[in-house]
Amino acid sequence: MTTNFPQAESAAVSPLVAAPGHATAPGVRVKDLTVVYRTPLGELPAVGGVSLTIEPGTITGIVGESGSGKSTLALSLLNAVQPPGRIKGGSVEIDGLGDVVKLGGDELRQARGRHLGYVFQAAQNSLNPLKTVGKQLLDLGRSHGVDDLRALVRDAKDLLERMGLDGARVLDSHQHELSGGMRQRVGIMLALVLNAQLVILDEPTTALDMITQATILRIVREVHKERGLTTLMVTHDIGVAAEVTDRLAVMYGGRVVEHGPTMEVLGAPSHPYTRGLIRAIPRLSGDIAEAQALPGRPPTLGTLPTAGCVFRERCPLRMDICETVDPRPLTHDRRTVACHAVERSHSTAEQEEYA
Amino acid sequence: MKPFAARGGLRVNPMTRRLAGHLARGLVMIWVVTTISFVIIRNIPGNPVLGQYETLIERGMSPDAAERATAALYGFLPTGTLWEQYTGYMKALLHLDLGQSLSTPGTEVVTLIGSATKWTVLPVLGGTLLSFVLGVTLGVYAGIKRSGKLGDLLSISGSLLHGVPQYVIGLLVLAIFTTLWPIFPAGGPVDVEFVPGLNAGYLASLVQHATLPVLTYALASYGGWVLAMKSSVATVLGDDFILAAELRGLSRGVLFRYVARNAILPLFTILALSLGMLFGGAIFIERIFNYPGLGLLLVNSIGTRDYALMGGTFLVTTMAIIVANIAADLFYAVIDPRVRTGGAA
Repeated sequence: MTTNFPQAESAAVSPLVAAPGHATAPGVRVKDLTVVYRTPLGELPAVGGVSLTIEPGTITGIVGESGSGKSTLALSLLNAVQPPGRIKGGSVEIDGLGDVVKLGGDELRQARGRHLGYVFQAAQNSLNPLKTVGKQLLDLGRSHGVDDLRALVRDAKDLLERMGLDGARVLDSHQHELSGGMRQRVGIMLALVLNAQLVILDEPTTALDMITQATILRIVREVHKERGLTTLMVTHDIGVAAEVTDRLAVMYGGRVVEHGPTMEVLGAPSHPYTRGLIRAIPRLSGDIAEAQALPGRPPTLGTLPTAGCVFRERCPLRMDICETVDPRPLTHDRRTVACHAVERSHSTAEQEEYA
Repeated sequence: MKPFAARGGLRVNPMTRRLAGHLARGLVMIWVVTTISFVIIRNIPGNPVLGQYETLIERGMSPDAAERATAALYGFLPTGTLWEQYTGYMKALLHLDLGQSLSTPGTEVVTLIGSATKWTVLPVLGGTLLSFVLGVTLGVYAGIKRSGKLGDLLSISGSLLHGVPQYVIGLLVLAIFTTLWPIFPAGGPVDVEFVPGLNAGYLASLVQHATLPVLTYALASYGGWVLAMKSSVATVLGDDFILAAELRGLSRGVLFRYVARNAILPLFTILALSLGMLFGGAIFIERIFNYPGLGLLLVNSIGTRDYALMGGTFLVTTMAIIVANIAADLFYAVIDPRVRTGGAA
């Protein structure tokens, strides 16, 4: 809206080091967000009262099993939960945009693409199969009222070349002429080319081979740094999260059960679910039998308990209170954990300190 | 067209290769169909030449005189084995000679088919294109507004019309517009008092007579288009790239074009095939409106055991379907880049 495209001048010097426009990375404050899906059994929560603060300029990872609500949470940041789902309550405050849950119509459409970039899973076909990448880029520019389409094409080429592709060739290609890794870089380009400062990547490396995966992760890290972004990455791969993210939120049954600096969460997991997840990772060195699968299976929308802790069925630390009371997320030492057992151990530890 | 970069290098034009393959396959197909129809036609009970010969003998003619008279009437006598007849037929076919009509002695089959084709193409093309444009346009809305009242209305009307047989619609149209509310002529291709050519009277009469057949074609096929387009739109709306386009903030107009263009692709095949099929299958409508098209010609030729005419009509119908197929395939290559480069998505 107020942004113009002065990148043409700076492009010659360093295409990406300083992304112009709103140069500050936005922070995100999700409060009490509840997203429900309409089913024959009534409206069931896929995201249940999640609060999550994403610091400006960080790469935050969201990990969890399939069906834990991580993709739904990611779509909520663009107010793009697809029917039969809907955001039932809560707010998503994004710096420079306000509460996106309250946005609608053209305002919301303009925010998507301009302020919020979304990158799909590589295996998903996120491009129109009938049009070249370049024509879709022009569609994007026209939809957002970009006057200087030449500059837009130049920016896109710079971005693609920055990611190791032949920009002109890629813009002339159709989706079916690109490999998975190339498509993913095109997806990243389209998310960034309008200078979005908050980028959400939904399983960006799933279904890519290991080499391409490593390349994409390196690109995500470098582009994040060069353009001064706030990045949110949804993944089910803890290895990927460990490699890229500064902070990590672990989701289970539609709740964020643990959130903190990545190295601390993975190095010393507090929540019994996070501990179980990490124990389940097989090591390259050592016996495969050392990896212990988490017992039980993750809840579906239908089997999610309505009262008490959502993880209790699989929890080794299960207590009486877990049956009835949903544990509140408590912040302790930069780490947020939602678990009665952890809460109790903290309070006893504190009591011991006083004693 | 490569607006973003110039790509060098010579490549064999894939379109040329495609077309050559199609033509070769089409010719083989035509040969197979003509052979099969030749065998079938010759085995239909009832031989018109023999019938004529026997009638003349019954009238008291000597066998020799009867044979001469019959030969004079038809221009030839079907003698020889089936194989000899077949090779003769094929040789003539190579010279585009379909022979003489038996039921209208002295007339070339090519002439009869030519004049009938003219009367088939006009209403078939008009009716099908009209219903295609109408059905597809409304089908897009029915697909997008699936859960709304308008969508329901369009789907229900589509299903109803789709379920009614062509001849019922034809009879209803005939009853309504020529009897209850007689504003259109009941039959025939054109009023005889006008001189054929580009004069106002003739053209007006032509349009008047074509209106009801075109309307019937359109009504009979409209429902199918609405339903096909609706389901195609619903499929495309569920595709990932539509959500991706939405999340990139593309405008409604662009999104609409993305959906419509992708959804209409599979319908072009159906369109081409139905155009080809209608060349031979418009019998009911031509009968009802007494329209001297190919369908009517085929029915009459079967009734009179006119071998040459039957063979010729079958051949034209076959060729129409094959040409329609090739046209559809080549058209695909123009509109779908995945087909153009020969790659799979």
